[in-house]
Amino acid sequence: MSLGSRISVLILLAAGLAASCEAKQVAVIVDKTNSMSGMSAADLAKVFKFDSHKWPDGRPIILILRDPSTPEMKTAIEKLYHMQAEQFKALLAAHSSGVIIVHSETELLKSVEAIPGAVGLVDVYSINSRVNVLKVDGKLPLEQGYFLQGN
Amino acid sequence: MRSIKVSILAALVFSFGTFGVFGPRAFAHDTPTGMHISTKSPQAHAFFEKAMAKMEMLHTADGLENFRKAVQADPQFALGHIFLTFFSQDPTEQVAEREKALATRASAGPEEKLIIDWLANASQAKWVPAIQAMNEALTSYPNDKHLHWLAGWWLQLDQNQSQRAVAMFERVMQIDPKFADAYNEAAYCYARQGDLDKAFADIKRYTELVPNEPNPQDSFAEISRMAGRFDDALTHYRMSLKIDPTFHESQLGLGDTYALMGDQQKARAEYAKAIATGSPVQKVTWSLQLAASYVREGDLAGADKAFTAVVEQAHAKDFANLEAEAYRSMSLYQLESAASLNLLAKAEAVLHEDHKVPQSLLNQELASVLRTRVERALVANNQAANNQAVNNSADNAAKNNELAKATLKQLQTLAEANDADGIITSALHGAAGAVALSVGDFADAVNHFEADESNAISMRSLITAYDKNGQQGNARRLAAKLAALNVPLIEQAVVVPEFRKQRAALAAKTNPALDPRGKYR
Repeated sequence: MSLGSRISVLILLAAGLAASCEAKQVAVIVDKTNSMSGMSAADLAKVFKFDSHKWPDGRPIILILRDPSTPEMKTAIEKLYHMQAEQFKALLAAHSSGVIIVHSETELLKSVEAIPGAVGLVDVYSINSRVNVLKVDGKLPLEQGYFLQGN
Repeated sequence: MRSIKVSILAALVFSFGTFGVFGPRAFAHDTPTGMHISTKSPQAHAFFEKAMAKMEMLHTADGLENFRKAVQADPQFALGHIFLTFFSQDPTEQVAEREKALATRASAGPEEKLIIDWLANASQAKWVPAIQAMNEALTSYPNDKHLHWLAGWWLQLDQNQSQRAVAMFERVMQIDPKFADAYNEAAYCYARQGDLDKAFADIKRYTELVPNEPNPQDSFAEISRMAGRFDDALTHYRMSLKIDPTFHESQLGLGDTYALMGDQQKARAEYAKAIATGSPVQKVTWSLQLAASYVREGDLAGADKAFTAVVEQAHAKDFANLEAEAYRSMSLYQLESAASLNLLAKAEAVLHEDHKVPQSLLNQELASVLRTRVERALVANNQAANNQAVNNSADNAAKNNELAKATLKQLQTLAEANDADGIITSALHGAAGAVALSVGDFADAVNHFEADESNAISMRSLITAYDKNGQQGNARRLAAKLAALNVPLIEQAVVVPEFRKQRAALAAKTNPALDPRGKYR
């Protein structure tokens, strides 16, 4: 038995071999100087579709994104952009001055931490205390009904 | 008596029984690969060391007892309090110890403070600050094996994140290649991901590291059973019992394995031995598994009799959650929906009475009862729709629809009030998926069922939802998984054997060469 199964036998047994699909929850992160604590899903979509260019304090919004093939970006494309991967790439190409593409989770976290006005999307289990996590529609990741969850 | 091999230093401390001669720096947790502990009490430090050594060997009751002694020796020992919060199975103790950990946090060291922030927030379902503190600790103390082990454990059991958990256990192996439980936990993670080669490699290493402990053999047996290697499972369970005849989990494992192999008489004989040696709560819990063996062989009258006996035992001991579970288990295999709904009503009534059982356990069982009611109401609806000859079938269908919707709402309210509870959340997804499937919202059904993919009933429905949603590849893959699902649960008993029969019949129909009856045609 594992330690977990010793403590809660049926839970782990129930998970068994079948539980290979782990739900992904995507956190919206901003730099620590950003005074926003949350926004609606509709406003978030505007930010990520380049329809909003500035934060309420006037600073320019800089998107920090990863490759569309990563699980968190797949969730974002499905929930925020409602478009195919090719359309998404074309959108990014048309707004290249407002977006930075990074190649790892670590790079994304460091970029959001370091760039004032930055906003990024990251698997919730990767967040650290050097960035702020925004609520979406009043909910944080892993709360019931959180907007940016996928599989 | 089971041997403790990992923390020799802690054992030495106890064999001498002279805490005073060891200063805090003498303990294993203050090594470069250990966790700094700030208690000023050598006794508390020694008890903490022993507790960790016990937990590493999965002697959880002994481990908990030593954590309790540690905080008795030093009530200001914040890390001891938070470890009790984390490892205790008693919700009352969890809350009380969390409050003590927070009250004494100021006296803790920097790493301890991060661990307290992580686990105290997690125990209150404040996930974002919990994860932030955990990651901060992991980044700041990359060579602390116990920290990574704890993180792996939390990610695996509390968060169902086996991919992330396995990375933690592999880091533990890098730091200390002889940290036995890291191999055990990683093996379970790999098994859950379906990577059986890696699972068996790690579990083999685990048996080599602690050859005189029963648990490595028990784990080897359980993973063998999960993989469908039943004979190997029986062999390793027997090896475990040979090492320690009092390791009752292996005795239960023999019963479970025979049950999954289809030999219900042998299963019941092995279950009976386990039940005879179990604690009062184990006796009732394991009797549920014995009763399920009648369901597996299609003897529903025998199952009713056995589950009714469990109801009486649980009622006599005031194990209300288990009494309700027995009613719910009976409801799952009833052919008539009215009988099933009647049993679920009894289960709910039991849970609403006044009991000594922790409310969290009652709530979890209530969630399972409610999700089953949603499913059975929708089945009743289908039965009514298929039986047009019955008077008032349209009225009955409307009533059942209303019942399903009202029950789903009740379950949503329960889930909102118990945000941290994974069992309740999974039950909600299972029920919501069933409702979405019934109204033809297949994409929504897929999303919900995927969040409850460990439940055999949801797996079966998810295959349908995938198929209707145009995801035939996913449907095929999941069907193969469901057919290979070997877990000793009532849901598996009511779903998987029948699913295998249907699958075999379908295969024979589409490929007559596979039909054993073909040679007679």
